Amino acid sequence: MSAEFDTSVRLALYREFVRTASPPTTEALAAGMQSSTAEIRAALERLAAGKAIVLQPESREILMANPLCAVPTPFRVRTQEHSFFSSCVWDGLGIIAMLQSDSILDTSCACCGEAMTIDVRRGKIVPARGVIHFAIPAKRWWENIVFT
Amino acid sequence: MLLFRAEEHIETWCRQWTQPRGATLTIDQAWQLANAWYGNKMEPDWRRGTLEETEALLTRLGLTGPFWNLRA
Repeated sequence: MSAEFDTSVRLALYREFVRTASPPTTEALAAGMQSSTAEIRAALERLAAGKAIVLQPESREILMANPLCAVPTPFRVRTQEHSFFSSCVWDGLGIIAMLQSDSILDTSCACCGEAMTIDVRRGKIVPARGVIHFAIPAKRWWENIVFT
Repeated sequence: MLLFRAEEHIETWCRQWTQPRGATLTIDQAWQLANAWYGNKMEPDWRRGTLEETEALLTRLGLTGPFWNLRA
């Protein structure tokens, strides 16, 4: 299959994820793209190998279409239409950047649990208290993308 | 990457979880990084940045030093 096909799969899965606030299954992608599940599964594996997405370890369904995360996390982005989860605060901001819409990121202080929000309006951060900590040096981010 | 109320909360968290202190960003720096990293992820011509492009991005955002070194 061509890189063009993989791009089509990537765009389809992101658009569907954003449209429904839920990741499409391999079967749903296949139906939507009039392809076989085997073709879609292979494309998802190539996209994962290229670090465009992350697949679940057993089912091989989508875990992360970065910055979107398929499972509930302590990082929730609220747009006017939907709520999305991200795997970290950077990805939460990444969702807002990708969607280019006024949104609020809800999370909490990782230390004490105090509720915290980051509000983005018209492309700008509404001034807020807080500091972001990266635990893992940049070179090692992809060794364990779930813990950075 | 986690959000903390203040620097001292990072120190406490690192002690609690026996994690070494990493690097910190302001929310504005993280917003700029997020825009550069993910702003075009839904575009047809998106591709993963090269090592050189990523280095240039980190430098542009003032993220330099050993923690941000992609080659060492």
